[in-house]
Amino acid sequence: MAVPLPTFVTRRRPDWDALQALLTRQRTGRLGLTELRTLDTLYRRAAADLAQAQTFYPGTDAHRFLNQLCGQAYGAIYQPPRERWASTRDFFRRDFPATLRREARFVGVSAGLLVLGLLLGALVVTLEPRGAELLVPEGVRRYVAQGRMWTDDLLSVAPPNAVASGIATNNLTVTLFAFASGILLGVGPIFTLVNNGVLIGAVGALCFREGMTAGFLDFIAAHGPVELSIIVIAGGAGLMVGQALIDPGELPRAQALQARGREAVKLVVGCAPFLAGIGMVEGFISPGHLFPTWAKVGLGLSLGALFWLYLLRAGRTDAGVARVGEPDAIASSRLR
Amino acid sequence: MTPSAPAPHVDVATPERVALSLPVAGIGYRCLAWLVDASLLFFFWVALYFVITLLVSDVLGAFQALSGLTQTLLAVGLFATQWLYWTLAEVFFHGQTPGKRVMRIRVVREDGSPVGFYESAVRNLCRAVDFLPVLYATGCITMLLDSRHRRLGDLLAGTVLVREEAIDLDKYTQGPPDEAASGTAPAPGSAVQRPLDAEDVELVLAFLARAPGLEPEVRQRLGARLVDRVGASLTDEERARVLQSPDATEAFLRTRAKAAH
Repeated sequence: MAVPLPTFVTRRRPDWDALQALLTRQRTGRLGLTELRTLDTLYRRAAADLAQAQTFYPGTDAHRFLNQLCGQAYGAIYQPPRERWASTRDFFRRDFPATLRREARFVGVSAGLLVLGLLLGALVVTLEPRGAELLVPEGVRRYVAQGRMWTDDLLSVAPPNAVASGIATNNLTVTLFAFASGILLGVGPIFTLVNNGVLIGAVGALCFREGMTAGFLDFIAAHGPVELSIIVIAGGAGLMVGQALIDPGELPRAQALQARGREAVKLVVGCAPFLAGIGMVEGFISPGHLFPTWAKVGLGLSLGALFWLYLLRAGRTDAGVARVGEPDAIASSRLR
Repeated sequence: MTPSAPAPHVDVATPERVALSLPVAGIGYRCLAWLVDASLLFFFWVALYFVITLLVSDVLGAFQALSGLTQTLLAVGLFATQWLYWTLAEVFFHGQTPGKRVMRIRVVREDGSPVGFYESAVRNLCRAVDFLPVLYATGCITMLLDSRHRRLGDLLAGTVLVREEAIDLDKYTQGPPDEAASGTAPAPGSAVQRPLDAEDVELVLAFLARAPGLEPEVRQRLGARLVDRVGASLTDEERARVLQSPDATEAFLRTRAKAAH
């Protein structure tokens, strides 16, 4: 027979208070070895008390208190490994490129969608000149009609940095959305990719028709390759999420979603610093005539080549040794 | 206290073979926490703006005079605070942004362990979708539909928000406030009474905690009903003695709740 509730609480409470004090200190700072041992002991005692409370005093405040206390202690004790700087370095040297190579299918599909959009936009504007009114933003159209690049004017009114910041934030938004909207059954990334493709294709075709191909190329060449690559990768990450929702394989949908979401976000997080870098190029080098066109084209192509070289080669040598078990486990878990 | 309708919760199986059930934070808590965070960010930028205007008279001019790099970094930084704030706060403050701390809610994984960087990044990147079309409409609808009040970002990241309650254990251990005055009334017939079960103890203690704030006649009436409930084996004479004053009634109830068998 159980002891009365007040007696139980009075007898056990000092341990609980001590555990609570230790947990508060653990959150604000570090604990010594002896304190950690005490924490462990106290947590086990509290867990035993919780078991007793569940049996004899269910639904009481004491039960809920113990439940919460054990929950906090459980969180403090069973922590996931911390992601620190060393693992950040490891992430960029190995994990990010390896993840990308593993999920190359999705990135490929994503690239296909963007190219599809490009062709669609270019085709519509080439075949039906009035299609430009539908697809190209009005501001851009007005500049092109006057035979100027819209970026020239931006440059003379505002300093180049304003352009850079505006462009950088816009690209961040597109990239984030291409990934996050993957949860809408993958419709979001498809829309974002095709939409951006159509826009670029239409503007390109319009410039071509108005005889401004050189100006268009001049603006887009330096940053285009890397930037489009990043949007394609983020779109691929979004497609991964959408695919997990539509075809979760052998896992329950929620679990498949979480497992794939964790992989997919690596692609987005990995792209973030490159996106910031290319935003600088887009803001400072691309607009204006500070650099000749051939230099911009050369820079753009070499940056793009370096980026993909990194993605395809980095961490390849020891990847086979370190990750022998994991990819197999993942592959078999989403066997289809 | 009778078991009420089961509130949404997360069940956690621990290696200690005790099942934890953590109460899940509902839509109200989450909206309030977001409001706190959003206004914090807003006032941060407003305050920064005013500090700058105090230091520099011509803000626009100074902004244009800044070197391009600084200016770009500033704009990207402003954008980044909107996104990084959430993830950094959740990673470094154990799953709590300042707003969540105020509301005493916390982001945890579905198995009850603290969030890592990737989970936090996923759920906060998904704000882009949850915010659609305005003011987290998508997120709110998902929270209302989901049994554990998760928004899309939580579903993708595998996280939930749990609530921490402030539970007062003092009522169990507290002695009578004036032992000397009311201690004269002995617990009649306590030797033959059966010990109370946990539910009755909880009921009696809840009454005792609130008794000083009740209206006199309500206090008397509720006390009498409780005495009838827990003191079934009292004789009529003992019952009359217990009921003659609120103090005596409550002293009896207190002894009864604490009685060891």
